[in-house]
Amino acid sequence: MSDQTHMPAGHDLAPGDEEQHSVGTRILGYVVGLVLALLLTATSFFIAGTDLVWQPSIPVALIVLAIAQMGVHLVFFLHITTGPDNTNNVLALAFGLLVVFLVVGGTVWIMAHLNANMPPMDQIMMRQ
Amino acid sequence: MLGKLDWSAIPFDQPIPLIAGAVVLIAILAVLIWVVVKGHLPYLWHEWITSVDHKRIGVMYILLASVMLLRGGSDAIMMRIQQAVAYQSQGYLPPEHYNQIFSAHGTIMIFFVAMPFVIGLMNLVVPLQLGVRDVAFPTLNSVGFWLTATGALLVNLSLVIGEFARTGWLAFPPLSGLSYSPGVGVDYYAWSLQISGVGTLVAGINLVTTVLKLRTKGMNYLRMPMFCWTTLASNLLIVAAFPILTATLAMLLLDRYLGFHFFTNEAGGNVMMFMNLIWAWGHPEVYILVLPAFGIFSEVVSTFSGKALFGYRSMVLATMAICVVSFMVWLHHFFTMGAGPDVNAIFGIASMIIAIPTGVKIYNWLFTMYGGRIRFATPMLWSVGFMVTFIIGGLTGVLLAVPPADFMLHNSMFLVAHFHNVIIGGVLFGAFAGFEYWFPKAFGFRLDERWGKAGFWFTFLGFFITFIPLYIAGMLGMTRRMQHYDVAAWRPWMIVAAAGMAVLTIGVICQIVQLVVSIRNREALRDRTGDPWDGRSLEWATSSPPPVFNFAFNPDVRGEDAYWHMKAHAQQQSLERDRPEYQDIEMPRNSPTGFVCAFFATIMGFALIWHIWWMVILGGLGAWATFVVFAWRDHDEYVIPAEEVAAIDRVNLEERRSLISMAGAA
Ligand code: HEM
Ligand SMILES: [Cu+2]
Repeated sequence: MSDQTHMPAGHDLAPGDEEQHSVGTRILGYVVGLVLALLLTATSFFIAGTDLVWQPSIPVALIVLAIAQMGVHLVFFLHITTGPDNTNNVLALAFGLLVVFLVVGGTVWIMAHLNANMPPMDQIMMRQ
Repeated sequence: MLGKLDWSAIPFDQPIPLIAGAVVLIAILAVLIWVVVKGHLPYLWHEWITSVDHKRIGVMYILLASVMLLRGGSDAIMMRIQQAVAYQSQGYLPPEHYNQIFSAHGTIMIFFVAMPFVIGLMNLVVPLQLGVRDVAFPTLNSVGFWLTATGALLVNLSLVIGEFARTGWLAFPPLSGLSYSPGVGVDYYAWSLQISGVGTLVAGINLVTTVLKLRTKGMNYLRMPMFCWTTLASNLLIVAAFPILTATLAMLLLDRYLGFHFFTNEAGGNVMMFMNLIWAWGHPEVYILVLPAFGIFSEVVSTFSGKALFGYRSMVLATMAICVVSFMVWLHHFFTMGAGPDVNAIFGIASMIIAIPTGVKIYNWLFTMYGGRIRFATPMLWSVGFMVTFIIGGLTGVLLAVPPADFMLHNSMFLVAHFHNVIIGGVLFGAFAGFEYWFPKAFGFRLDERWGKAGFWFTFLGFFITFIPLYIAGMLGMTRRMQHYDVAAWRPWMIVAAAGMAVLTIGVICQIVQLVVSIRNREALRDRTGDPWDGRSLEWATSSPPPVFNFAFNPDVRGEDAYWHMKAHAQQQSLERDRPEYQDIEMPRNSPTGFVCAFFATIMGFALIWHIWWMVILGGLGAWATFVVFAWRDHDEYVIPAEEVAAIDRVNLEERRSLISMAGAA
């Protein structure tokens, strides 16, 4: 919709919308993002298979790498910034994070209790 | 070649679905032939099927919902009759058939009646209330509608080809797993919901973006009509919750199709996880439905009391609080599964907390009415009826949120009564209020008030006669979904409930008659003002029905109740003042993308259900190709020249001016 009148706040950029930058800087941004993303991916694969690090730390490392990967995507590809033109996007992200936190956290909590109280029949037998 | 499909899929031995299916098929064919013979096909294709106009799409959503309401209602009548007669006998519906009916009833009523009805109303009204010309993604909007229609079509197809799920409307495993449900019923269920779920998600994204990004000059957040706020909240919930449903059903389908073990009893699967996930979607879902209804009541109560909404800001706050808290209570649907006292207590308390913002809303509506000059037109009747009914439903909800009480009442008829109480008394009453209220806006003539009021009273009374007995039967220990029973004490209540169903049916008939009568008398009921109810928000500032572009000039909003202020301050002047220069308006072109895409999705869904793999590929490729073609389109907008805008707008202005001068003379 081209002639829609927008908010008084003026220009609020959608994810993927570009500000007025030169093509050069834009390409540079994407290349940096790509390199970082590839680096993080490669590291994850490497860590998963290696025995150079202390084994129990591997899952933690993978989680950290995954979160970093999400951060890279958000910043370099979806252009989430803290600027005033990005309020909607940041709020949407915050809402999303809250919901993910509630649902994932709640599920882990609920399922732990359920599994403790309600094991399958054969495991009840085994306990006795 | 045809996978699992052969002649045994047609239930020749079951006369009821076969005859019903045949009658519907003949009716559809007759309508189609009539359309083609009368030469209406090009009109339908260009003006409706390929339309990307939010108003048209909204109307089609509501039409879909109304048709499916009749289907779901027929299921309800059959179940009530069965339970009235099946005391110490098998009744007239064999168990496998009865089980399909209650499953189809729930699925249809939630996904293909309540959802399309509220989404339709939001589509129709929200852009008008925001003072803009369209939604954010017009073509996507059409895709969303047609995918919803695909889901509805597949569910109805199961009536005559194969069978529907016998698992209840949420298909809990292990019953819905391959070992206990080897037939295609659960597949019909799951694929219909997967496809229509994509449609719902798309609609949600579209409406969230519309509210956040497309508002007219001066329409800042705290000037938006309440319905826009509840639309925002409800669609945020759609965007957040529907992916959970999709993922859960995808896992169930992987179990069924590829031998995975997410929710099986063996190989490390966990059926309790399904309960947990489906309700993590399921509870937000009930608020997705009821929040828009709250918005409708807010609009209606304030208009028909002739007052601004009382406590607007507290209403906004309550809406957003419900939006967040509704993600913190889902465990109340499985207190009895055994998570233990700590978990149950926390979720029980969280559930009761939801009643607080809901209560705030009820008081706000009451205070809006207090001291107002109330007009009891049909939309207002539905709203007041809602307040009475919904309070009872909310109270029984709070009762069920007390874990020890729930251990007694879970999955009893009391629960059935609770959720019908909130869904009929809340969502459906809201949908009807919105229908009566905005019908003149959509079509340019009012609905007949006498039949409308009769419809309300029969529905209202019928509701109580049907569902109060279910509360009582529940307290007498009757569980839900019983095909037959041997307890004498339940029998009388089942008979009363069946009688109530008859009263409800009369209510529905009244509303159908109302529609027919109103269409016939449309000249007498014509609304030339565009503002038949003395409304307060911007949808009433344009003509009825509005032109494609909604507003010749995007209105300039100076406060809450935008249109009310325009009328109060400068009605005469603003209408008579010469308009600034008219300008060309660009509008999105119509597009068959939605229809074609849904066509292929239907093929793909059907093929997936019957394991016809070549057809799955065909349908998938078709749907994908449709998107590619759409993405490569050259021009997606057309221009309405300024002269044409001017001509349309002047007619409208002329109309209003003469009315005002008539009113002035009188
Ligand atoms: C004050 C607000 C509410 C509270 C505290 C509440 C509480 C509950 C509880 C505890 C249950 C589970 C009972 C059981 O399974 O034993 C339940 C079921 C249900 N509620 Fe509510 N409720 C409320 C409002 C609503 C609203 C507004 C809707 C819909 C618009 C709704 C729809 C449902 C449905 C559909 C079910 C049952 C689904 C099923 O088991 O098939 N509730 N409610
Ligand atoms: Cu709930």
